[in-house]
Amino acid sequence: MSDKIAVIGDIDTVTGFRLVGVSECATPKSPNETRELLLSFFRDPNMGLIIITEPLAKEVEDTVVELSQSPVPVILLISDRTGSTGTYEAILKELIRRAVGIEINI
Amino acid sequence: MSKILPGTKTTRMELLALKNRMRLANRGHDLLREKRDSLIMEFFNTIAEIKDAREKVDNSLTAAFSALTQAKMIMGPARVIEFAYASKFEADLKISTRSMMGVRVPVLSVEQRSSELPYSLSDSSTKFDVMGEKFKEALNAIVRLAEIESTVKRLALEIERTKRRVSALETVIIPRLDATTVRFVKLALEEREREDFVRLKMVRDWIIAEEE
Repeated sequence: MSDKIAVIGDIDTVTGFRLVGVSECATPKSPNETRELLLSFFRDPNMGLIIITEPLAKEVEDTVVELSQSPVPVILLISDRTGSTGTYEAILKELIRRAVGIEINI
Repeated sequence: MSKILPGTKTTRMELLALKNRMRLANRGHDLLREKRDSLIMEFFNTIAEIKDAREKVDNSLTAAFSALTQAKMIMGPARVIEFAYASKFEADLKISTRSMMGVRVPVLSVEQRSSELPYSLSDSSTKFDVMGEKFKEALNAIVRLAEIESTVKRLALEIERTKRRVSALETVIIPRLDATTVRFVKLALEEREREDFVRLKMVRDWIIAEEE
């Protein structure tokens, strides 16, 4: 069984991953579009991994946190060309806090 | 004070059965507590791994983006995008699961295939090849991070579930069995014994009175 990878990000990120064979790519222009894309990728039963860049994830943080609760597909935040913004750590911390009940410094 | 288990009969059989249930509950409680503790240990180990994997992803992405910029400078942005979309690379994600302390955690691997010439050799620059390599590395690092992260998530879910079971046993089931139900059955049995004793004494008195 093979699953799909999806990338949501700016044009550079998408270009790079498109080159190495990621088939589902999208470059949303507004937070609403990002949310819709995220949901539609999430509902795809063959989706295994959704990669989203941090600046875009920041705009729809609540949706990302909510969808991250389910184990599959995995939603992963990556930094874009400007470098990491710390959104990834914030979201992971929130997830851990919900599960274990304590704050953990990563 | 917790309630007596509904439908408890005050018999010796029931008392024995209750004591068996007590033992079972206690053993389950110990086991679950051990499971919770080792899950938490595993959880912290995995969290430490996340940090390394995250650094690797960041480094490989930085390298990939700088290669992308170089490729753009030599070939022009439009051509790079055009070539990227026309490339014949294929990436397949494979998800299998393995069991870690009874928790099914995913194992992700990515398989990258390409035909011998994924894009036109004569129209692309070597910088473009470098960029492809770098992004491949980045994708591998990302998939590894995704695996660890989803392991952490599942472990967290399992810890939550185990914690809830442990505290349910600790605060509801065991007190209810031990402090109330067993006590209730014992008291009822003792009361009946005393009644029997009194009854016997009364009968004895009647018989003695009749004989006189």
